Amino acid sequence: MTISHDTFTFVADLVRRRSAILLEPGKEYLVESRLLPLAREAGASGVDQFVAQLRANPSPARTAVVVEALTTNETSWFRDVAPFDALRRHIVPELRAGGLGRLRVWSAACSTGQEAYSIAMTLQEVLVPTVAVEITATDLNEQVLERARSGTYTQLEVNRGLPAPTLVRHFQRHGSGWQVSDELRRWITFRQHNLLDVPPPGGPFDVVFLRNVLIYFDLPTKRAVLERVRAALRPGGYLVLGAAETTIGVHDDYERVVLDRATVYRSAGGRAAAAAPAAAPTTAATATAASLAAARSTLAGVPARPASAAVPPRPVLPTPARPAGSVFAPTSTRGAGLT
Amino acid sequence: MTTLIAGDDVYAIAEELFTAMVDGESGTVSQWFGDVPAWQVPVVAWVDLHGGWAGRASVTTERATADDLARALLQMGADEPVLEEDLHDAFGEVANVVGGNVKALLPTQGTLGLPQVADHDPGLPGSVLVTEVVLDWRGRPLVLRVRGAA
Amino acid sequence: MRALVIDDSRAMRRIVGQTLRGLGFEPVEAEHGQHALDLLAGDEPVPALACIDWNMPVMDGLTFVTRVRQNPQWRDMTLMMVTTESEHGQIVRALAAGAHEYLIKPFTTDAIRDKLELLGLVPVGESA
Repeated sequence: MTISHDTFTFVADLVRRRSAILLEPGKEYLVESRLLPLAREAGASGVDQFVAQLRANPSPARTAVVVEALTTNETSWFRDVAPFDALRRHIVPELRAGGLGRLRVWSAACSTGQEAYSIAMTLQEVLVPTVAVEITATDLNEQVLERARSGTYTQLEVNRGLPAPTLVRHFQRHGSGWQVSDELRRWITFRQHNLLDVPPPGGPFDVVFLRNVLIYFDLPTKRAVLERVRAALRPGGYLVLGAAETTIGVHDDYERVVLDRATVYRSAGGRAAAAAPAAAPTTAATATAASLAAARSTLAGVPARPASAAVPPRPVLPTPARPAGSVFAPTSTRGAGLT
Repeated sequence: MTTLIAGDDVYAIAEELFTAMVDGESGTVSQWFGDVPAWQVPVVAWVDLHGGWAGRASVTTERATADDLARALLQMGADEPVLEEDLHDAFGEVANVVGGNVKALLPTQGTLGLPQVADHDPGLPGSVLVTEVVLDWRGRPLVLRVRGAA
Repeated sequence: MRALVIDDSRAMRRIVGQTLRGLGFEPVEAEHGQHALDLLAGDEPVPALACIDWNMPVMDGLTFVTRVRQNPQWRDMTLMMVTTESEHGQIVRALAAGAHEYLIKPFTTDAIRDKLELLGLVPVGESA
């Protein structure tokens, strides 16, 4: 069972316009597997029929649900252990040697919060109680933030990459699922935030986690996001990206540092507080991102692409906000990250 | 006592079981609406819970539905015949997974018996029905019951 | 690498075994704890891993873990419970008895891979 070319093209275009995420040919399986549950819920015979119904009878609510289904990241705990080992073995000891009394961490595009809680669990193991920990975790999607704040996870979610000793240390049973301890929940402030806007309060940050987000963006948008993050990092602070991501060739103000099996990026600092002007609404931020990108391309000797073509109309991530004021039938988010 | 085990929790347990181990994707089960048709060839699997809270968790469905469940769990082809032992093994494991997770909802630590499978529900004398959830899987009903020994 | 799969359900042994085979293990099945101990007493090299159900006839999984931990010959074998027992206290009990990891049924096959990555038994891969 595969979806038609027409269905795929329509969905890919919709997702690109709404989220700046590119679904290239070859991702048909992803579209099908993510939309099949929605199709079944809607009583359609399959994804083709479901999408045909959506096209014949478009509604903002159903469109948003479709885009969300395709842009929700799978999140797991420590499955990719290298960044947390780097935090534990290198970054924290280095910061402590520098006389650190407070550690500020930003978990950017945090989705349902597994990364933020994993950071908190790691820090609780290695830090003495005299060091204050402040973790800011952000996402664009208020719905995932609500789940993140509750700290409740299904049995299937805690099975994914959470070591059993860590589970029993930090979680309690909560109905058919589990809940993170109140203590860890108090360490984290969850906020709604667009990565292209001015950084959230809570900085300057010693460490920023921004994993598996840049891969979805084109070069100018990557650059704009990295510029925002650089401004939020204290000089010498660390940026942790996903394993398939790098700042190399995208933004020059980061130094690549290899810490055992992890590659992280240290903010060179120094250069230019001139970069990002203060508080700008989303559309202005996009324009800023575009001009920044253009400026940097020019500096690097690469001709700047026209801003309108370079930056998608409204880059949002990792999940698009639902249109304000629209009424949604409650849909189950259970299993959204189980692919 | 009856509020110990909420229907929503039993439903969530079953939904996770189907998502993870039967279909490999979410959204394949829903709540059954309306009356459950009279069974033609029923099959029931159960596990008993012992301890401070004693009772039984059972799953009842049509033999044909249980056969399909067994095929899914044993990764068999759609037309492959399901032997009696395959059915007992796979359908019994469904009851085991449901029962074990139901046990975790209880406030006291108890133990779980081994799964049993039969062609009719033998009943549990003196017990009360605590929760009943009817699942719709591929348009066919499965009845999940939790009974507590009175 | 050999891996013991100990479960009284053949369906479950098949699911766990096939996942392990896909990760490069050679699964060896046992129907209960005593059966597994008998296999271990044979001439074959000690498996690198054992995936162990809790509730089984003849000998349950917790007893098996305790018995394995009493024999230094088997100390390099990684022990992972794979069971529907899912109370906080039961997980603590199994870890205290010497289990290294704990996977709750139901699980996805990806969850097995995640756990084995955490245990260092399979290389860390990119997410699917």
